Amino acid sequence: MSTTTDDIETLVNRRYKHGFVTDIASDSLPPGLDEDVIRAISLRKKEPAFMLEWRLKAYRHWLTMTEPEWAHVHYPRINYRDISYYSAPKSDDDRPKSLDEVDPKLLETYDKLGIPLHERARLAGVAVDAVFDSVSVATTFKEKLSEAGVIFCSFSDAVLNHPELVRKYLGTVVPYRDNFFATLNSAVFSDGSFVYVPKGVRCPMELSTYFRINAANTGQFERTLIVADEGSHVSYLEGCTAPMRDENQLHAAVVELVALEGAQIKYSTVQNWYPGDENGKGGIYNFVTKRGDCRGDNSKISWTQVETGSAITWKYPSCILRGENSVGEFYSVAVANNMQQADTGTKMIHIGRNSRSTIVSKGISAGRAQNAYRGLVRVMPQAANARNHTQCDSLLIGKDCGAHTFPYMEVRNATAKVEHEATTSKISADQLFYCRQRGISEEDAVNMIVNGFCKQVFRELPMEFAVEAQNLLNVSLEGAVG
Amino acid sequence: MLEIKNLKARIGDTEILTGLTLTVNPGEVHAIMGPNGSGKSTLALVIAGHEDYVVTGGSVQYMGRNLLEMDPEERARIGVFLGFQYPVEIAGVNNAYLLKAALNAKRRTHGEPEVDAFEFLKLAREKMALLEMDQALLNRGVNEGFSGGEKKRNEILQMAVLEPRLAILDETDSGLDIDALKAVAKGVNSLRDPGRAIVLVTHYQRLLDYVEPDFVHVLSGGRIIRSGDKSLAIQLEEKGYDWVREVANA
Amino acid sequence: MSASSINTELLERAVGKLPSDLLMPQRMRALTRFAESGFPTTRHEDWRYTNLAPAIDLSNLWLLEAADGAADEPRSDASRHYAAELASTVDAHWIVIANGVVQKDLLTRLTAQQLPGLEAVSVAAGNVVQPVFSILAEEPMTRFNTALLRDALHISIGAGHEPDKPLGLLVIDDASSGSAVSQTRIILDVATNARAEVIEYHASIGSHGHFANVVTELKLAQDAAVDYVRIQNRDRAHFQVGKLITRLGRNASMRHAAFDLGGALVRNDVAVDIAEPRASIELHGLYLADGKQHIDNHTRVDHRVGPAKSREEYRGILSDRARCVWNGKAIVHAGADGTDAHQANYNLLLSDKAEIDTKPELEIYADDVKCSHGATVGQLDKAALFYLRSRGLERDEAAQVLTRAFAAAIVAKSTVDNVRGHVETLIDRRLQDLVGGASR
Repeated sequence: MSTTTDDIETLVNRRYKHGFVTDIASDSLPPGLDEDVIRAISLRKKEPAFMLEWRLKAYRHWLTMTEPEWAHVHYPRINYRDISYYSAPKSDDDRPKSLDEVDPKLLETYDKLGIPLHERARLAGVAVDAVFDSVSVATTFKEKLSEAGVIFCSFSDAVLNHPELVRKYLGTVVPYRDNFFATLNSAVFSDGSFVYVPKGVRCPMELSTYFRINAANTGQFERTLIVADEGSHVSYLEGCTAPMRDENQLHAAVVELVALEGAQIKYSTVQNWYPGDENGKGGIYNFVTKRGDCRGDNSKISWTQVETGSAITWKYPSCILRGENSVGEFYSVAVANNMQQADTGTKMIHIGRNSRSTIVSKGISAGRAQNAYRGLVRVMPQAANARNHTQCDSLLIGKDCGAHTFPYMEVRNATAKVEHEATTSKISADQLFYCRQRGISEEDAVNMIVNGFCKQVFRELPMEFAVEAQNLLNVSLEGAVG
Repeated sequence: MLEIKNLKARIGDTEILTGLTLTVNPGEVHAIMGPNGSGKSTLALVIAGHEDYVVTGGSVQYMGRNLLEMDPEERARIGVFLGFQYPVEIAGVNNAYLLKAALNAKRRTHGEPEVDAFEFLKLAREKMALLEMDQALLNRGVNEGFSGGEKKRNEILQMAVLEPRLAILDETDSGLDIDALKAVAKGVNSLRDPGRAIVLVTHYQRLLDYVEPDFVHVLSGGRIIRSGDKSLAIQLEEKGYDWVREVANA
Repeated sequence: MSASSINTELLERAVGKLPSDLLMPQRMRALTRFAESGFPTTRHEDWRYTNLAPAIDLSNLWLLEAADGAADEPRSDASRHYAAELASTVDAHWIVIANGVVQKDLLTRLTAQQLPGLEAVSVAAGNVVQPVFSILAEEPMTRFNTALLRDALHISIGAGHEPDKPLGLLVIDDASSGSAVSQTRIILDVATNARAEVIEYHASIGSHGHFANVVTELKLAQDAAVDYVRIQNRDRAHFQVGKLITRLGRNASMRHAAFDLGGALVRNDVAVDIAEPRASIELHGLYLADGKQHIDNHTRVDHRVGPAKSREEYRGILSDRARCVWNGKAIVHAGADGTDAHQANYNLLLSDKAEIDTKPELEIYADDVKCSHGATVGQLDKAALFYLRSRGLERDEAAQVLTRAFAAAIVAKSTVDNVRGHVETLIDRRLQDLVGGASR
């Protein structure tokens, strides 16, 4: 009961609201990619030698790779030479030390985005790291977190201040050779977030990052690394927006999660990159590699995502369930409207004994969009008593969209139990009529039914995100009915 | 309040209502009876504005307005309520949420302030107690996993909360055991009011033992072939529908 | 992954030695196309779990050693003996295709019976059939089949007719005198309002390697109805790739049950094309595998129009080091409103060395549809096992009972009565191997 009818009404009348450009001086590298560009990125960030070496290894490997084509998405070839691989809102030398030093125009931007950096952080107890184009701008609540021993900072800061941790964990979940987009990211990533939660610590607040692509022709290649040491807990939220532009912009992020023995990581995403217009012009190409490693026994990693934006989404947040009794979860709502294409799902790799995984995927297709769930559940021979349950539902709104389900189950253990169920349906005329007979408008009824369809996933989101997710869903489906 | 004149309607190529005339005044309770396929549910759905039914002739006036040119939600907001024969399940949509949204939609139409969650819950709980309904049903999905009896009680609860001027209850008594039937009847009777009209669509006379109608109409072949008072229902129960048809044809 | 590929030069030579008959132009065309694609590899999404390397190696060996004699009519008393025995067990009108060649004597005998509405001819015997191969030409395995085709069986059932007994098609391959590769082609044309029961029975004998490549095309005209049972009971060392293509006319209905019991490497593809409204298809299958058997079942139902209904349920029981693959695709094309499609795949894993890869897929481009699928991998229900043991059954016996019940769900879907008893016997025998083997 978090959204009133009024809210929805104002929301449905709103177009993509995050589509504005912020006019601030930015320091960008010219478009193009070669070893010099990578050296330049590394130099600007004053990185230690090991980072540059790692980037160069990735770049050299990337040159040998070809772009994957198996996903159920279609887009014109990307020319990787036309992209600028670095764009920072301010020169690095005078980066802000605290919020007071942040360019007021930038803060205004975040306000427009609905991320009141000050208020929200204080009221909600959320620590926010905002990544604008490629560089992390400000991290709130640093002091409070450091009292608890939690490190939450930009990736660049982590490289400078905690190189031993970065060196120990970077690329151990998503190796630099992993896949075309992850390898490109490894070579050119400019910033992102870093979290380390020490042994036995329950992180005292939700951690949050907002990503925004602003400059034209910039690729955003952020890299996030979260390490939860033994017995620790952390909940991390990620929000994404981008301005409206006619050209497609590339976003190729990598997220690595490491959960040691008894640790729990909850990773929530509300992705609302610019999806392009009704005719498919513009929008973000979102090619993301997200993977969590339940490295220790009794560890748990939970992915929750609400994907409403991007022209193309190519994303499979995964769990490697290495530890005994480890738990992997994937809760997803993916909405595709107009000309959007989404190919998203998860991988659950069961290695540890008694490892368990749950997959709940809700796909909504409208307009001329194509929405595919692609998921792999693999049970290795040593994963005795592994359990998986997958529920995968698609909702179709309109005649010209597509909903596709491609689950892969590979089971090599005789004590494992794997169950997959999938359904596809449209909003029934009976349900609509029932709501309308009770005085609820058609638009509201659709929103209500769609939100009901997604409830199992929204329930997994932290409270303030759940409201935002519902609102986003309604905005994304605007005009889908009628 | 409700004036139906020579109403004709079809679904697909099948003519179902063939010239139905009916007048309902405030404060009255009408029972519409008839055999299967006589058009009872069609009448209820046409009044509520179901899009599968095409009106091919006649008129429906409600409080002096032409009901037929309104959307279903407009009709609902000005006080037309349909208790469905088969209430649909809507997974994941909270029962209380739907009901509160419906109540506030109506209140907005009438320029009344919306009720907040607290007021709403208080109201809903009162009405549920009256209907002897399990309070837990409020927080379940709309009709999701409800038993037949629970679904029907839920319809009456919605009616009690929305306080319509014209309530049409389509076979609300079917599939109920005797306790549920009594509870439903109690709910209906509590809503009898000089300003409100109730139309009971039913196959059997059973419900009429508990909710006494002012008028009884027999529907056959898409029109009303006989009207009378409560005694007509008793005669029907004894002699069957063939009897009315014979009398009507004679 | 293997780098095996066919020796194209030897293949061309083998095709060239086949009789210069009506099929020759088709063979040459198929050969050219096959040479472009070669065999599918695990890099193809549809073949990611099927490694054909052993079949390719065997084909190369055969081309090298035996293809020169491939033009000779195969003669096998063992095949005849097998056919006679089967005919005495299962009452049907039997036609035998041995090593890819339709056996003329049985065909003649069947023709002599002059069954109303039934016509069965061998293409190699000089009968002209409509070129129905074109739609098959786009897949490597059907190209390979056409390129090396010696014969094809064409059966038609006339409008409104229904044969008095099931049609039995025994596809038998003999590899007792050396490694062999055979191509079998069956075309079945069922006219308007005709009905038929069909038993497609695959067997093989001989201690040498064998690779069978079978293509069956089935056309059902308006209101036609076919009950189809496929039994694959090949030698445990032999390979098979089979493809069944079905096109359904308006209001046509097809019920299909497949039983895979034998073979070392088996891959079955069923493709159903619903191009006219109100057709219905039921696909059922049971695969039992132990040792190092590899059995793949792939189905694809194209709902091009609606309303139409497809139902699919496959079950598998795996023991030892067996590996099975199931892939069920339902594609609902734009405008196919009123489609009602359901797929299910249930598997019992009896050994830690066994592997099941299951992949149900839905691709939907219309909105007024009801589609769902489900897949499970698991074990026998522990509570049920305990219940039976508490009633005095031995553990093995209890496991047998439950396993048989699991399999019986598919046997019950087999709608050709004449062959049901035989299928039950075969399954019981296999289950004793599987369950016994797993508990040892």
